[in-house]
Amino acid sequence: MPELDPLIHHPARLQLVTSLAAVSEAEFSTLRDLLGVSDSVMSKHVSALADAGYLTSRKGLHEGRRTTWIALTPTGRKAVRAHVAALRRLIATVD
Amino acid sequence: MESKPPLGGPDDARSLLHVADESSRRLTAGLRLPAGLYPVLGAAVAVQIGTAAYGIAQQTVRGLAVALAGLVVFLLVAAGLLHQFRRINGVRVDGLASRLLLGSGSIASLGYVGGLAAGTWAAFASLWWVVVAAAVVGGVAYAVGARDWWQAYRHDPVTHERGASPRMLAVLAVVVCLGLAALLVVG
Repeated sequence: MPELDPLIHHPARLQLVTSLAAVSEAEFSTLRDLLGVSDSVMSKHVSALADAGYLTSRKGLHEGRRTTWIALTPTGRKAVRAHVAALRRLIATVD
Repeated sequence: MESKPPLGGPDDARSLLHVADESSRRLTAGLRLPAGLYPVLGAAVAVQIGTAAYGIAQQTVRGLAVALAGLVVFLLVAAGLLHQFRRINGVRVDGLASRLLLGSGSIASLGYVGGLAAGTWAAFASLWWVVVAAAVVGGVAYAVGARDWWQAYRHDPVTHERGASPRMLAVLAVVVCLGLAALLVVG
């Protein structure tokens, strides 16, 4: 069986990192709304992925209010590519 | 509370990938460009080409000052468009910044260089209507290059998202402005 990354195998985290792979940086609330989760759940996912070195976050401004901007690190991008490739291999085993 | 990850069978994998792809697609499909981005960008580039051609041909302090002013107008317009994009969408896309500020891509590069070369030649010959026409052609090509990149990005965001970082672009802009300012002082 292809090796899957347990850190981003969770559906919400996979959604989070694949969405971030399409942009350079995204605002916390944009991602939260996209995933349809609460602030606390979103923070938990971001913290876990940041601790693993997959994400970086920085404080900034959006529409005049303080907010957090989140981006994938090069390690995170590599992990996303590897995980998606592993999922595709897994699917290919039965196709 | 975190739910347990799926077991990892092919059906789970297909479902996971589908949801993740859909999420990414929704994010990029929802992105909007600032109103009038293409004409505004094209006009700013035309101003920059026209003033640069005039400044180069004049070879005077006044000419360099005009060229520097044109560059500043272009940089301010590009920075404003990028700021608007971030404000509207809540995301930053470095590939867009590179397209707006550096005009990377064959159509934009050829159009810009061709427009500047033709405009400069025309300015030396005092053919001012040709300077204006060359500047407009360069601006239109630049805007068309930006539009083509946007369409390519919407089709395949992961491949086209990358570009020079905002810090790198800011450094480049400062270097170019300082270079022109130094020429102004020396001249």
